[in-house]
Amino acid sequence: MDKRHPSSFQQLEKLGEGTYATVFKGRNGQTGQFVALKEIHLDSEEGTPSTAIREISLMKELKHENIVSLYDVIHTENKLMLVFEYMDKDLKKYMDSYTSPATVAGTSPRGALDAVTIKSFMWQLMRGIAFCHDNRVLHRDLKPQNLLINTQGQLKLADFGLARAFGIPVNTFSNEVVTLWYRAPDVLLGSRTYNTSIDIWSAGCIMAEMFTGRPLFPGTTNEDQLLKIFRLMGTPSERSWPLISSFPEYKTNWPVCPTRELRAFLPQIDHMGLQLLAQMLQMRPEMRCSAQTALQHPWFAEHNARHAQQQQGPGGYAAAQGMQQGTGGQQQGQQQRAF
Amino acid sequence: MPPTRALRRAVTDENAENVGSTRLTRAKAAALDTVVAGEPPKKALTAKRTTTAPSNGTIAGRKRTALGDVSNVVKKEPTENVDGKKDTLGKSGLLKASKPTGIQKQAPARTNSTRTVLGSKAANATSSELKRPASGSGVAGHITKKRNTSASKPAALDDESSENVPPPKNGSNGSFKLEKSKTKSRPSIEEVFDDEAGPSWEEVVKDAKDLDEEDMDDPLMVAEYVHEIFEYMQELEITTQPNPDYMDNQNELEWKMRGILVDWLLEVHTRFRLLPETLFLAVNIIDRFLSSKVVQLDRLQLVGVTAMFIASKYEEVLSPHVQNFVHVADDGFTEAEILSAERFVLAALDYDLSYPNPMNFLRRISKADNYDIQTRTLGKYLLEIGCLDHRFIKHPPSLVAASAMYLARLAMDRGEWDATLSKYAGYTEQQIQPVFKLMVEYLAGPVLHDAFFRKYASKKFLKASIVLRQWAKKWASTYLESPPATTSSSGKKTPRS
Repeated sequence: MDKRHPSSFQQLEKLGEGTYATVFKGRNGQTGQFVALKEIHLDSEEGTPSTAIREISLMKELKHENIVSLYDVIHTENKLMLVFEYMDKDLKKYMDSYTSPATVAGTSPRGALDAVTIKSFMWQLMRGIAFCHDNRVLHRDLKPQNLLINTQGQLKLADFGLARAFGIPVNTFSNEVVTLWYRAPDVLLGSRTYNTSIDIWSAGCIMAEMFTGRPLFPGTTNEDQLLKIFRLMGTPSERSWPLISSFPEYKTNWPVCPTRELRAFLPQIDHMGLQLLAQMLQMRPEMRCSAQTALQHPWFAEHNARHAQQQQGPGGYAAAQGMQQGTGGQQQGQQQRAF
Repeated sequence: MPPTRALRRAVTDENAENVGSTRLTRAKAAALDTVVAGEPPKKALTAKRTTTAPSNGTIAGRKRTALGDVSNVVKKEPTENVDGKKDTLGKSGLLKASKPTGIQKQAPARTNSTRTVLGSKAANATSSELKRPASGSGVAGHITKKRNTSASKPAALDDESSENVPPPKNGSNGSFKLEKSKTKSRPSIEEVFDDEAGPSWEEVVKDAKDLDEEDMDDPLMVAEYVHEIFEYMQELEITTQPNPDYMDNQNELEWKMRGILVDWLLEVHTRFRLLPETLFLAVNIIDRFLSSKVVQLDRLQLVGVTAMFIASKYEEVLSPHVQNFVHVADDGFTEAEILSAERFVLAALDYDLSYPNPMNFLRRISKADNYDIQTRTLGKYLLEIGCLDHRFIKHPPSLVAASAMYLARLAMDRGEWDATLSKYAGYTEQQIQPVFKLMVEYLAGPVLHDAFFRKYASKKFLKASIVLRQWAKKWASTYLESPPATTSSSGKKTPRS
């Protein structure tokens, strides 16, 4: 039935391997265009994995410049191949291979990005998240490995394998979501009624990581993850977080840590950036800002202004694209300032 | 690398070993493909129908005990059509045998369970003919009246007219066009309503209360996104709408069979303790699939089971194993067949499962009446009528949900459909009338979907099906005869239930 065949794509090097899929670089035999081929092995017992069904259905809905495009789906009896737009690397690899002027000068650790790039990435990340949430989709697995960067400096959300559509009120979902380091405290506490705010927590963790080059809360277990968070954000109590004792994972013997100022352990971030980060890294889900609100933050003023300009004039777009391209290169800091 | 989630770890990365079953699957896939895509000419079908295979009774007998739910459903059907049913079995068996396609190998077993659930088109016509005079216990009066209303259409005298009375002209025919245009481009409501009597939605909701403010503190209500999300869902309900006339393109199927299938799936759904959302999505998958593919009668149950399988994967936190689906279908088909059908159905739908679940709309409206649990329980029952009765396919889920809540409130005497309800439902009382009437008709008619009726006759569901049937018997004539209510006073003359 299907004219499209896996063979119409030339399979090149392996880009990555997950637990249920392998991603290859590929080339479209007809157009020569590079693509990313995500090969999902079909379980002979259960057929198409639910992760794949959700990922495909949701990605077909989510057409946005900050979300990776799904071009095609090739379904044969023993494998399922998703054809995505090709992106150069993920944010993790991007950071690993990045040397900022500050690193050269010895003022910033390896892996840390420069402030201009970070702001551009964060703006794009929040735009992607806002689009998902507007379209009632939770990503549920935001982390640097799932944010892809291309040579134009564009950032796009990828891997919607854990994503799902939510209703209102939000249904209860699986608690096994989001890679540990980026998992929100309410989820760590056993909540099954989380909502859009869990993606915001992850985004906050990613923002801090881009500034420092290191994960903010690199926990080893659920318990350890919570303690790492408490050590920086303070141990929550009924007073700071009403009803916290009703969470399944609530413990009475947590070590009591005082709340620390973000500035104390993230001195790299400018004042306004810290303000925004503080709104994203709220312990209580209802206190976390939404992606829309984050985008309105003055920290993004330039980006929003530029975006508004682009929307207006037809000529504005190319110019702005050029500007965005700058953020991708190694020297984009200077380039951007030149604009 | 951060530690990975258990969820992913649990997903195995197998698939090397079963060359054998893989090959089987390919054959099945091909077979399914032909079966579905091929359009057996109707003529041939009719010809086959005339001969009856004597051997068939035996096959049926052999399998029947094992049919479980399936046969129960059928047995509970009015007894008058026993003859018709036997006929069905016989004929379908023959039909089967005379079709030399790849899948026929396992025909006897599979056919039977399917067959029993879903008789052939010809037989159904007969059976409903038989049923008609006898079916009216106390309800006959209404039915007759109804039929008289639509009797102006002489063509309506086929088997469908007894099962599914075409909606009265003044109601649905006009309204279909109306909702279509309404939902396609919301802004044009007024213009559509120019030729209608009622006030426009915008006008009605002017004075509505804003209830979302109070949700700003409740994260589960995602109040900051609620408007965008519902706007988006209203777009989706159009893009995921099945073709309401798809049965015209089906050779072997008819609406009644769809009703039987969904009624059975409802039992499966209850038995597996699945979320309400899963049932609605499954039915939408079935309808959209049947809108695009021609399906043989003996594959209809497979389509239903597969749709439920896919819907659970999409909606549930933990979905039942494929084996469970094979089991409930009484081994009517193999796991490999379901998995192969899964791929085929997903591809036919282009992997689009974005159907906006009617439960979302129901809960949204429920918000505007303080989440009255009784009303909502009745509303859920009424909403599910939208799954079982094909006449609701052409109405967007948001409108069916609005009608369900409207009727539930009427039956519970909960007061008028005010501005706030109109706002949260997205429809004025006027706009709801056509679908409301369809529901009243369904309630007042004979019980067509037995499992469905029994499910909601339980205390857990506040005996919704019984209560509403009693209500309808008393009031159907009032609502169906009278011209569309022009004032909201209709809420006041509501009976006790």
